[in-house]
Amino acid sequence: MSVPASLPAPTDDALLVLFANGDRDAARELTLRLTPRAYGVAVRVLGDRAEAEDVAQEAMMRLWRMSPDWQPGNAKVSTWLYRVVLNLCLDIKRRRRGTMAALDEVPEPVDPGKGVVEGMQDSARAGALQRALMQLPDRQRQAVVLRHMEELSNPEIAGIMQISTEAVESLTARGKRALATALAGRRRELGYEDG
Amino acid sequence: MKMAETDKDFKDLDLLFAETRQSEGQMPEGLFRRIVADGEQVQAGFAAAAAARGQAHGQGMWSQFVTVLGGWPTLGGLAAACAAGVWIGLAPPSFLPDPAELVLGGNAQMDLIGLDELIAALAEEG
Repeated sequence: MSVPASLPAPTDDALLVLFANGDRDAARELTLRLTPRAYGVAVRVLGDRAEAEDVAQEAMMRLWRMSPDWQPGNAKVSTWLYRVVLNLCLDIKRRRRGTMAALDEVPEPVDPGKGVVEGMQDSARAGALQRALMQLPDRQRQAVVLRHMEELSNPEIAGIMQISTEAVESLTARGKRALATALAGRRRELGYEDG
Repeated sequence: MKMAETDKDFKDLDLLFAETRQSEGQMPEGLFRRIVADGEQVQAGFAAAAAARGQAHGQGMWSQFVTVLGGWPTLGGLAAACAAGVWIGLAPPSFLPDPAELVLGGNAQMDLIGLDELIAALAEEG
């Protein structure tokens, strides 16, 4: 598959059809497009990079397997994938229910271009956000991650979570309020009062 | 824990979301490669399944044809009958007329039912 630069990039729909027809380039392109989203959501929802990696790989495997049955135009491929990721995350959470995730073990990336103190502060902020996210009920956390980390619209989130748009608005509002409350007492610690 | 009541708390949170979005993008080493490999393996499975379906389809049609005719013994008998028919056509026994002469005409004269005698008898009566 070689697409001239002047043509618009093929849609996920089209790539999935090409994949089902045996196009190897379509497999690579879909992997590059969709895996970061699947992995990113799974990391935020699970708080565990190793489990998120497994979830992303399994979700993509399910995408490959269902590709011959895909009906282009009916739904977005990304919507289908997010839904599978969230369901896999829920399965994992059910399996490990009763045990707290070891969030302190979650390695947070530090930008090597920044100073040590700034880097630590960024890392502290990201860690604080992740810990606060993990305190939210599952559905609230899912909605907040999709809205504020993936920047999806409420109707898209409603489609993924299979709830009404109003329910999404309610979940994200409550989730955001809980997060703000959890982080409110740590403003100085997280470096927000430096300026 | 104090309640988040000020716009400042929510602004800080929005800032934190934005920072976290920007800092992400580091994927685990080898994940892309494993996922692409999975995809290629699945594609190979599709191709093998399609080939197997095609083969099974062909076998099914032939089997169905044989079954309709009555199985392999019938098919053998049919083949023998065809061969006999062809042989009789080419080399008829002496008591049968030569089909080639019947079609093309010839000097051979045959009166299988005694037609000449019947015509003479009728003429005498009439």
